[in-house]
Amino acid sequence: MALILAALAVLAAVPWFGSDVLIQFGINALLLAVLAQGWNIIGGYTGYASFGNSVFYGLGSYGVGIAMAQWHLPFPVGLVFGVALAVTFAVLLGIPVLRLRGHYFAIATLALAQVMTAIVSNVGLAGQNIGLVLPPLNNDPLFYELSLGLLVLATLTVFWLTRSRFGFGLIAIRENEEGAEVMGVNTTLYKTMAFALSGVFSALAGGIHAYWVTFIDPESAFDISLNVKMIIMAVFGGPGTILGPVVGALSLSAISEFLSSEITSLASLFFGIVVVVAVVLMPRGLADMLRRFRKTGWRYFAENIRTHRL
Amino acid sequence: MDLLGQVLINGTLLGGLYAMMALGLALVWGVLNIVNLAHGAFIMLGAYVSLYLFTYLHIDPFLGLPITAAVMFAVGYCVQRGLLNLIVRAPMFNTLLITFGLEVVLTYLAQLAFSADFRTINPTYAGDSIVLGPVVLPLARLLAFGVAIALTVGMWLFLLHTKLGRAIRATAQNLVAARLYGVEPRHLYAVTFGIGIALAGAAGGLYGTVSQINPYIGAALTAKSFAISIIGGLDNPLGVIVGGLFLGILESLTALYIGPTYADVASFGVLVLVLIVRPTGLLGKAA
Repeated sequence: MALILAALAVLAAVPWFGSDVLIQFGINALLLAVLAQGWNIIGGYTGYASFGNSVFYGLGSYGVGIAMAQWHLPFPVGLVFGVALAVTFAVLLGIPVLRLRGHYFAIATLALAQVMTAIVSNVGLAGQNIGLVLPPLNNDPLFYELSLGLLVLATLTVFWLTRSRFGFGLIAIRENEEGAEVMGVNTTLYKTMAFALSGVFSALAGGIHAYWVTFIDPESAFDISLNVKMIIMAVFGGPGTILGPVVGALSLSAISEFLSSEITSLASLFFGIVVVVAVVLMPRGLADMLRRFRKTGWRYFAENIRTHRL
Repeated sequence: MDLLGQVLINGTLLGGLYAMMALGLALVWGVLNIVNLAHGAFIMLGAYVSLYLFTYLHIDPFLGLPITAAVMFAVGYCVQRGLLNLIVRAPMFNTLLITFGLEVVLTYLAQLAFSADFRTINPTYAGDSIVLGPVVLPLARLLAFGVAIALTVGMWLFLLHTKLGRAIRATAQNLVAARLYGVEPRHLYAVTFGIGIALAGAAGGLYGTVSQINPYIGAALTAKSFAISIIGGLDNPLGVIVGGLFLGILESLTALYIGPTYADVASFGVLVLVLIVRPTGLLGKAA
């Protein structure tokens, strides 16, 4: 606990001693961590592999973009608008799509993300495929602290999940949905709420990002590869744990930042290799590896392969 | 009316090729329960194999298809045997993630090897077409369509009537029972994945004769293949043909009547609708 608070204090102090580059890297990494943590609620705890969380992120970006660029409203109103869009989306489309299981759910959400990108690029209010330009605000430390605050909020929410009736309901759904239903869990309500909650954090991250970069277009706001990135970060750290997604996101961001500054063209290639190797050797994430490695040592990796191979 | 006729023809020809692209994905998904996010990247690789055969060895892209398919079969066999077999029993996320990682690796390796430029496989007859009354049939597209349909039907007959095909179907139904009857699953999984990738590679070779290729075309083709497999169902190659034709025609009609930018909305919108209403596909068996 003390360790976490100390780490948090260091993170919060970065704008006072860090370079501009470090602060900018920090904003990106923290927002990705928020996305991974948001995904953790629906993917890690509820067990529904959403490939559509980029829609929430995009709706959050556009909420802020439309409010500020088209209606000249202040940033917080934009955030609220974005969150409202995301929750509406989660409820309207979540209820039918959350009836699907496994791969089918993953693919339906992936398709939804594609549909949303295409629809938004045809909406006049959203600037079609040209995009929207927001009023600039040159204050990186502010955006950094906002992102950090959001990450803390998301993580506290997940912490609360692990000790609340709602959270136990989600875990019950993940482990055995029919069983949870029989035990009196209103699975439709719980799943929809988890999807919406996951969406709220993603939308807030999108909103902050939009104001920070001051420009949004459908390609970047609804970036499909963002889905995969947040899942990889959550799974790399440890899905269904409180700190796993945060650790996963921050460490993978650091690796990929380091690689792209050293060997630009090979960074993406290397990222792909890291993902492949990590899935084979530590399929339950860093959190599980750190816990077990002390006991079993290097055999940990061999045992993972033995359990999962054909 | 002539315009509509031409659009329907274009959609049909495109649909045949789409069907073939999706066939390998549906096979691997249906039999091995692996949702291969790298499928489009293998289509892209197949296109480059065909391109290189044509450019350096002057092998006609249609006559060279067996070579492309054989090369891609070997690639697929090794990937399954060496990598995917290691995680077959891991949770679902992990198979999605590993094939995604594979997609990234293949895409960037292709970029290093072939550069990011747009290329086309351009045999001398590429511009020729057959005029049939009011409509025009581009020769390359017509050939690609014919080969795609022939291979898809051939795949169906193979699964139904050969010993290997039966073993593959038996594995899809019950791995444990199949093992008891002497099926070696590690080899069989690799063969099945190899066949799926060979089909993807051949589809890529055909795609390269009618469209431009570059290392990044994979992701969009994977998404289309998903749409077709889901619309058509996973348990029947004929369903995949119907799904492919449906998607090709739907995209062409949407582009004509609503606007080209809505083509993707239509195809993915239909995918979501089909999933919600009938998750096993329009032609698939009810779960």
